[in-house]
Amino acid sequence: MKFIYFAIASALAIAPAYAHSDTKPRHGGQVVEVGETAFELVRAPAGVSLYVRDDGDEVPPESMSGKLFVTLGTKKSEIPLVAAKGNQLLAAGAKIPGGARVDVLVINNATKARQSATFMIK
Amino acid sequence: MAKFKTLAWSAAAAAAVLAPTLAQAHGIWFAQRAKQIAIIYGIGADDLESVKRLPGMESIQALDAEMNAVKAQLRTDGSLVVVDTDAPPKIVSAVLQNGTWSKLPDGEFVKKPKDEVPNAVSAETTIKYAVSIQGPLTKPVPLIPAQALQIVPVGTIPAMLGTPLTYRVTWKGKPVAGAAVINDFVNDPDAKDVLTKADGTVTLPVRNQGLNVVRAVYVTPTDNPAKIDRYEHTATLAFTLPHKPE
Repeated sequence: MKFIYFAIASALAIAPAYAHSDTKPRHGGQVVEVGETAFELVRAPAGVSLYVRDDGDEVPPESMSGKLFVTLGTKKSEIPLVAAKGNQLLAAGAKIPGGARVDVLVINNATKARQSATFMIK
Repeated sequence: MAKFKTLAWSAAAAAAVLAPTLAQAHGIWFAQRAKQIAIIYGIGADDLESVKRLPGMESIQALDAEMNAVKAQLRTDGSLVVVDTDAPPKIVSAVLQNGTWSKLPDGEFVKKPKDEVPNAVSAETTIKYAVSIQGPLTKPVPLIPAQALQIVPVGTIPAMLGTPLTYRVTWKGKPVAGAAVINDFVNDPDAKDVLTKADGTVTLPVRNQGLNVVRAVYVTPTDNPAKIDRYEHTATLAFTLPHKPE
């Protein structure tokens, strides 16, 4: 009988973990999760990449368009992203300094639905 | 005694002004639908036909984190009206001209001015306003000229439900006394109104660890007594308290 109580309690305790959670970086970048969509921003010598996963699935880059809005102090700039491979949108050659705020806008090309996320660059 | 009579008369006058608001109680507010920013028309759990109201929607505006204007437009997505912005918004707002309504003796309303409804007992033009805060802000919510009636949070939005939050209600940019406020238009639409003080403020606990839709109603006099008796303005402020990380 005690085992049944223990089993029920254990099941209830882990129930919240069944919700979507996808915050682990896959490419060494920073991850921001908005609802069930995980955005990973990677700064590399070759440029800046944004990887998008939705409900655990990689989103094909040709299905979306995106733009980064970079703010550092009073300076603002916009960086367009282009489709790369896997689930990667890329701004080749782009640089984002530490301490910047990066607002991301991603548009689903088919539905026109828009999503946004904000990164505070470490 | 004279002071008591004055107070009693003021209360009766306020009740008379507020009473009609109960019948025309619908509003607009912003809420997330399928990850998008949608405009909802309704009251409480009634999420009504916003697409039908699209022709009356105007002054769609968005502001970024620095409170600079961002281009925004409405788009019909199935049965939803959603807002598309050209950059991530921190504030979005809209106005709905919801028409002129005459009240019949049996309490029903018809969408006509009273000069076209011989047995009308009253008539009003209704205008709905909505502002939404999208995520944490680093600057105060500005007064938006198109939002003739606006609810502005005073200070920072708290992290936890139950925390008191002061709001200032403004009419044409100035604090207004006597606006009728409730703090959860979606989940408690029949709550007792709290009237704003002389400085336009009211303090209420934040009710939800999720979507909060605060609503204010303010009535202004007619400028066309042959057609309407008053204008009824209904404003909402929507914001979300985040849930725990999953």
